[in-house]
Amino acid sequence: MTPPPSSRWTAPTRRAALAAALAAAAPRIAFAAGPSDKRLVIILLRGAMDGLTAVPAFGDPDYERARGAVATPRPGGGGEAALDLNGFFGLAPQLKSLHDRYGRGELVVFHAIASPYRDRSHFDGQNLIENGSDKPFGLADGWANRALQGLPAAARSGRTDLGVALAPALPLMMRGPAPVTSWSPSLLPAPNADFVMRIQAMYQDGDPKLAAALNEAASANAAAGPGGARDPFLALMTAAARFMSEPNGPCLAMVESTGWDTHVNQMGAYGALARNFTALDNGIAALADGLGPRWSDTAVLVVTEFGRTVAMNGTSGTDHGTAGAAFLVGGAVKGGRVIADWPGLKPGALHAGRDLKPTADLRSVMKAALRDHLGIEGAHIDRAVFPDSASAPAIEGLFRV
Amino acid sequence: MSLQDAAIAANRFGLGARPGDLAVIAADPRGWLKAQLTPETSPPAPIATLPTTAAALRTYSTWRESLGRAGSETQGRQMQGRGVGMQMGAGRMNAAGSVEASYARAFFPDYQAAVAARIKAATTTDRPYFERLVRFWGNHFTVSASKPAAIGLCPLFERDVCRSHAVGGFRDLLLASSKHPGMLVYLDNYLSIGPSSAAAKNPGLLPALVRARLTGLNENYGREVLELHTMGVRSGYTQADVTSLAKIMTGWTVHYGGGLFDHPGQGGADAAPEFRFAALAHEPGPQTVLGKVYAEDGLAQGEAALSDIAAHPATSTHIATKLVRHFVADDPPPAAVERIARVFRDTGGNLQAVSVALVDLPEAWAPAPAKMKPPEDYLVSAIRAMRGPQLSGQQFVAILDRMGQRPYYAKDPNGWPDVEKDWIGPDALWKRVEWADAVGKAVGNSVFDPSLLAEQVLGPDVTPATRKAISQAETPAQGLALLLVAPEFQRR
Repeated sequence: MTPPPSSRWTAPTRRAALAAALAAAAPRIAFAAGPSDKRLVIILLRGAMDGLTAVPAFGDPDYERARGAVATPRPGGGGEAALDLNGFFGLAPQLKSLHDRYGRGELVVFHAIASPYRDRSHFDGQNLIENGSDKPFGLADGWANRALQGLPAAARSGRTDLGVALAPALPLMMRGPAPVTSWSPSLLPAPNADFVMRIQAMYQDGDPKLAAALNEAASANAAAGPGGARDPFLALMTAAARFMSEPNGPCLAMVESTGWDTHVNQMGAYGALARNFTALDNGIAALADGLGPRWSDTAVLVVTEFGRTVAMNGTSGTDHGTAGAAFLVGGAVKGGRVIADWPGLKPGALHAGRDLKPTADLRSVMKAALRDHLGIEGAHIDRAVFPDSASAPAIEGLFRV
Repeated sequence: MSLQDAAIAANRFGLGARPGDLAVIAADPRGWLKAQLTPETSPPAPIATLPTTAAALRTYSTWRESLGRAGSETQGRQMQGRGVGMQMGAGRMNAAGSVEASYARAFFPDYQAAVAARIKAATTTDRPYFERLVRFWGNHFTVSASKPAAIGLCPLFERDVCRSHAVGGFRDLLLASSKHPGMLVYLDNYLSIGPSSAAAKNPGLLPALVRARLTGLNENYGREVLELHTMGVRSGYTQADVTSLAKIMTGWTVHYGGGLFDHPGQGGADAAPEFRFAALAHEPGPQTVLGKVYAEDGLAQGEAALSDIAAHPATSTHIATKLVRHFVADDPPPAAVERIARVFRDTGGNLQAVSVALVDLPEAWAPAPAKMKPPEDYLVSAIRAMRGPQLSGQQFVAILDRMGQRPYYAKDPNGWPDVEKDWIGPDALWKRVEWADAVGKAVGNSVFDPSLLAEQVLGPDVTPATRKAISQAETPAQGLALLLVAPEFQRR
């Protein structure tokens, strides 16, 4: 395979290239007193995003054959053609603002990347990617919450909630002892403070869990402001921006997006993926707008539980697979690059004969974001956040310093 | 006489006590529950009047055809794509004239009526344990309107499959679920075509709705039947078993006598007229599942495979675990699970015997409420407590949507979660607080004595803290609202 003519490309030649990138650089000195205004947003795409449609590898000579009718036309091939990244990889045509950010050096695209999960259950796959161990139900709380427990003192100070989940129920990824809250749009008028106080008194002794949840809700509601945009993901991302714009707002937000399980008719201008990519792109753009100057201190990590089959299934969709794509975008990101140790799409190169083979571990990106962006000590990350991740060192150099 | 056991029977096994219920139940709480475990002679009145499955299929087919070039690939993709993210909220729709608006006009009235019927049946039933079992099986075999084509079929699947077999045999329940158009559509099996079947070679033999898409194997149903409906994830089956089962199930499809779903020339009588085995789409040849070879035998090949899977030991453990988690505790006590699993195995999956055994679990009668009610059961219990008015389907949908559980819209095939942490997030609790506040204000000060109502519906479960909060409320309306958010009212 000939590398494409782009200087921004991290050569997808062989494992050695990525290994070098991972292991390179001198041992880092932890940001013990790192800047306290960094923001990290984690977007979890539930249902398994088709990474080969999000980031088509149109330069791979096997791409069109392997994908058949779910192949995206190469750049220049019409209205639904891929947006070029580096002559080899592209972006789905709906990811317009992400494409602009790639050009501005704010987006890193990862490919052939996966969590350690190798089976094909959504629910197990999501559980693993949220609990942060190397198996489903391996840990009972979430890696993002455990990470927040290791936040440097400077970043903790003054903050009531270290994290916020934009969801009606607290997702596993955010559960644990560190103080986090959750929020989603509401339509009824807020109950008055006296009523809430009386409930609090009722809960105080007998039901500490309800008491804690009510406290969180009361303060989150004050912070969120009015919501209610028609696109629910847009509403959540707009609210995330509001939460994180507060001077002492949470430094980590988790936003969920559903509807990525595209077994049927996934392609085309009106397919499920076109709609999902548009919402994702608009949502990230709204977050950047809402954060204003804070965008330069922000990183957004977009992940999904696993990829989908390389070949189309019998119903113009794709079934559950293994490796896929991930995004890291933000003003704090040293982007404009695709990082992939590309395994190729020849039949013999596929995982289990059907899926894109994983050549990188999502935890390597997550760990880098926690250490190099939020300033969490590597030792805490290795011990408490991703305890089984020795095989997945943090990727160096993903952030502007 | 035990008021404590009566409160447990009414609240933990049932859908919440109405004023007066506890005194009646207290005579024999266990007997009161077991007496409910008989098959229904006919569904409750509100549910009996829902449309037939054939009518629902016709509505969908007619709507698709009404959009013009229905069946053409472009149009099909357009509708599918738009449908996936369709936002309906309380039934408000913008963009009149769009596909979304047309979908809303065609399906929301029936959907809202079905929600109202489901809640009316639950709030008025004298057999609340039976009703809980119907809901349990409906959630176990999730068919969700999150797939737009399934919207009209969800309540009918619940009625014709889960309600009919709630205290029958598990194998029959599984087979009925596998043949119902709701499941066939929701998990894509009606689109799954055997790669070596006659229809794969000649798509002209396929129904218009299927022909509009490229045709081939879809393993969605094959996987979920193993992972969710029977054995459970990580119970020993492999990807090869999933693929083989998916091939066995090819040809199991929908038929109602005219329209886009039908295979040309596929007539023939069947007990369920909306189900057809389309031999033309069936993958020929033997298949191996879990080490057993199933010879090519048409429909009987799948029936044999599903029957064996229903009787697999892993299935008894999976079902028992879910039942005990539902009725006893988020972390099911292993001894209780084993007892239920044994009854399941010993009786060949007799769900009446299994449901009796749940009542006989000592672990189920611990006094402290252990489980958080999910939003719909919470709403139902509040209406039962107040002997409240029936709202419109649109109002019910709006309330439950806000609380995070829009009826028949579970996000995924594994259904609504059944553990506390999924329902106790700050935002989920806040939505209940807002609703209780609004209810208190709407009901006003002259209808209830909230302290008395608390004793009537919760019995000995009322804690001193709740009693104190209600008695010190500034108005009866606020006292009612406090009762509705009291820990022992939100739990069971």
